Amino acid sequence: MSADPHADRILAEVAGMLAEIVGEELLIAAEITADSGFDDDLALESIEFVALAGRLQERYGDRVDFIAFLADLEIEEIMAMTVGRLVNHIAACTRSEAVGGTR
Amino acid sequence: MSEVYANGLRFHVQRLPAPADRPALRTPVVFLHGLVLDNLSSFYYTLAAPIARAGSEVVLYDQRGHGRTERPRTGYDPDTAVADLAALLKACDVATPVHLVGNSFGGLIALHAARTRPDLVASLVLIEGQCLDLPADSEPYAGGWVEEMANTLNLAALGLESHPGPDRLPTGPARKAARLRAGADALLNGTTLIEDVTLLRAPDPDELADLACPVLALYGELSELAAPARRLAALLADCTLTVLPGVAHTVLREATAPVLDAVLDWLPRHESADTRAGVGR
Repeated sequence: MSADPHADRILAEVAGMLAEIVGEELLIAAEITADSGFDDDLALESIEFVALAGRLQERYGDRVDFIAFLADLEIEEIMAMTVGRLVNHIAACTRSEAVGGTR
Repeated sequence: MSEVYANGLRFHVQRLPAPADRPALRTPVVFLHGLVLDNLSSFYYTLAAPIARAGSEVVLYDQRGHGRTERPRTGYDPDTAVADLAALLKACDVATPVHLVGNSFGGLIALHAARTRPDLVASLVLIEGQCLDLPADSEPYAGGWVEEMANTLNLAALGLESHPGPDRLPTGPARKAARLRAGADALLNGTTLIEDVTLLRAPDPDELADLACPVLALYGELSELAAPARRLAALLADCTLTVLPGVAHTVLREATAPVLDAVLDWLPRHESADTRAGVGR
């Protein structure tokens, strides 16, 4: 996706979670990239996005405040989001801990 | 975890903690969504996050047969819905009475919970809750909304059965509609939901008058339920009715901001007197 290994790792993680939530049909449908839209490209149901947000909250805990992130967005904005925008938000929130630890 | 086993079923549950830097309200808020096409996402994207941010622990779950919760063949009656709620709260270590926020059919379940398990409930917020079937001479639908709802669901079930969807789920934009359709078909043609809805009976007015818990009732001016809501509010001992101008049954979606303001104002003023620990973490 980019020359940003931290964001690339998060993208791979998000893609893995999506495959678990949606199942094999998603993998057949489309390759998940930073440019994939949750609605347009992945045709994710709103309840499936909730499941993704729940997993990300479990994974990142307080480091990424998904409640605050989602509270500021309308449902239309959430579904119109690309995978890359979500990944960038997580990357920005977790960047400091990655410094020094990244290769 | 987002999977909780309760009352013999695997439920999809999402819990939002109150922020650590804000004094938390004592009473958790539990959301009950509507029937068939609804699931916890309608609350997740509207009220849940701002309410959690304002200091309340939030619990959302998909009712049996809905969203990502398991879909057993039976148990779509209010008694079972309340048994599910009680078992789920226990499984989530919620040991204190909660605010129940119910949208549409979820409002009916919330009201049933307050009548049959008052120990679980600190207050009710009914958002277009289908909660009363008192016929008035001047209104259509002499059979009340139960008959109306059963007819609508039966028609939908027949339509789904006679026009089967594709064998394989399509990909791309058609996927979402196909999944929605498959879920509704499975629920309407594969479970006792319609039968259970048909058997619903309105609560006795005396029973409603005995209900002690405070109720916030939010209804749309243009909704068929606005008139029954006024009768409900007149019967209840402690009910604040707000009619939202210019909207019909889809109040949660179309009047999210005034609904949120009303609930945020309501919660701190109706804290449970119960001082036991709230939601376990």
